[in-house]
Amino acid sequence: MSSRYAVLPCNGLDKSVGCIAREIALGLVDRSESDLICPVLFRVSDARYSKMAAEKPLLVIDGCSTRCASKLAAEKGLKVAKKITVTEEVKNRNVKVGKSLKLGDSELELAGSVVEELLKEEKKEESAAGHEFSTITYDYEIYKKDKFIFRVPRTGFYFNENDCWVVVEGNRARVGVADYVQQSLSDIMFFTPPAIGAEIEQFGELGSIESGKAVFEVISPVSGVVTAVNENLISAPELINENPYEKGWIAELELTDFESDKEFLLDFEGYFKVLKRKVDEFHV
Amino acid sequence: MSKKVKVIPCSGMGKVHGLVAREAALKVVSELCPADAETVCLAYIVTGDDEAKEKIEGAPCLTLDGCPKMCAAKNVELAGGIVKKGYRVVDIFKGHRGVKPGNATALTEEGWLLVDELADKVKENVLELGKEG
Repeated sequence: MSSRYAVLPCNGLDKSVGCIAREIALGLVDRSESDLICPVLFRVSDARYSKMAAEKPLLVIDGCSTRCASKLAAEKGLKVAKKITVTEEVKNRNVKVGKSLKLGDSELELAGSVVEELLKEEKKEESAAGHEFSTITYDYEIYKKDKFIFRVPRTGFYFNENDCWVVVEGNRARVGVADYVQQSLSDIMFFTPPAIGAEIEQFGELGSIESGKAVFEVISPVSGVVTAVNENLISAPELINENPYEKGWIAELELTDFESDKEFLLDFEGYFKVLKRKVDEFHV
Repeated sequence: MSKKVKVIPCSGMGKVHGLVAREAALKVVSELCPADAETVCLAYIVTGDDEAKEKIEGAPCLTLDGCPKMCAAKNVELAGGIVKKGYRVVDIFKGHRGVKPGNATALTEEGWLLVDELADKVKENVLELGKEG
């Protein structure tokens, strides 16, 4: 869970939508490491909350269109990262809310679903960024054939014979394709990512990439659950052509049984031989 | 200095994408808007040819690159041209998944359609830039 927001809700004691705003704020703070700013205390005590709001992105939750919380943020000169207005949520979701300040089931359900969405957004952002693989070093051995250069990282990477690689750190793995794939495909124009949360068997399909020449199914070197995909590739699949081992990585997985998977994988020496043979025999 | 918009394609030697860029640029300057646009040889620009450099320095340029390496856009900018828009042929291809445009030496009928599409986009831009003066 990340420490995503400093949450500033309206006080929420004038209308039921205000109470829902409070409920959303409390739910979010309860289920993430977000911090809560009390709108009343904030008016009289700048120092404590201004620091909090400066450290984390500010999420402002207003109940009604009076937007007390937004106005307070503006008065304090705070930069708002995200804004929610409950009356708009009610309208967009086509739900009915009562007038009572004591929340009923439908109001609580609405608050719950807004919280869920905020948490999902958080997860999605984390997924796009991927995990920091601090142990990867990029030291390449090169094999040349005509105008083509094929790089293979010397350490830390394992490969399958389908020209896909994996690096592992603890229980996490990052997967991508080898230089041979991007050279063979030429300009990659489409990336179809695997679904986050999908369970993938070793040698199962982990999305695909496509150029004008062919579609290549990414064959996972490991089994596990997809935790992140490189979303930068959706708008810029050419990153795979630039460097498939670094910015062109495909997906990350939480491993299920790497020790067993490893038996079917090649280390640098093993893969480099396979690569040279493929290049000499097939590459034109 | 000529007020014509400079339409500069990449060298386009290696792949069909580059050929589409070259053909589209030629279509714009020779057929679609010869009065408003002209091309400058990228090789001259890269080698620092004075005449070519003078032509593009401070001038509005539209670059057409085959691949995402963007050789034309980068070199025109380096030489002092103002790249108003850098077109990428791969982006045109993305709208036509599975298209068979030909190869680096000859275009198919489908390839020529892509040339037409790109040339039309560039033409619109040339005319807009012409209005801006």
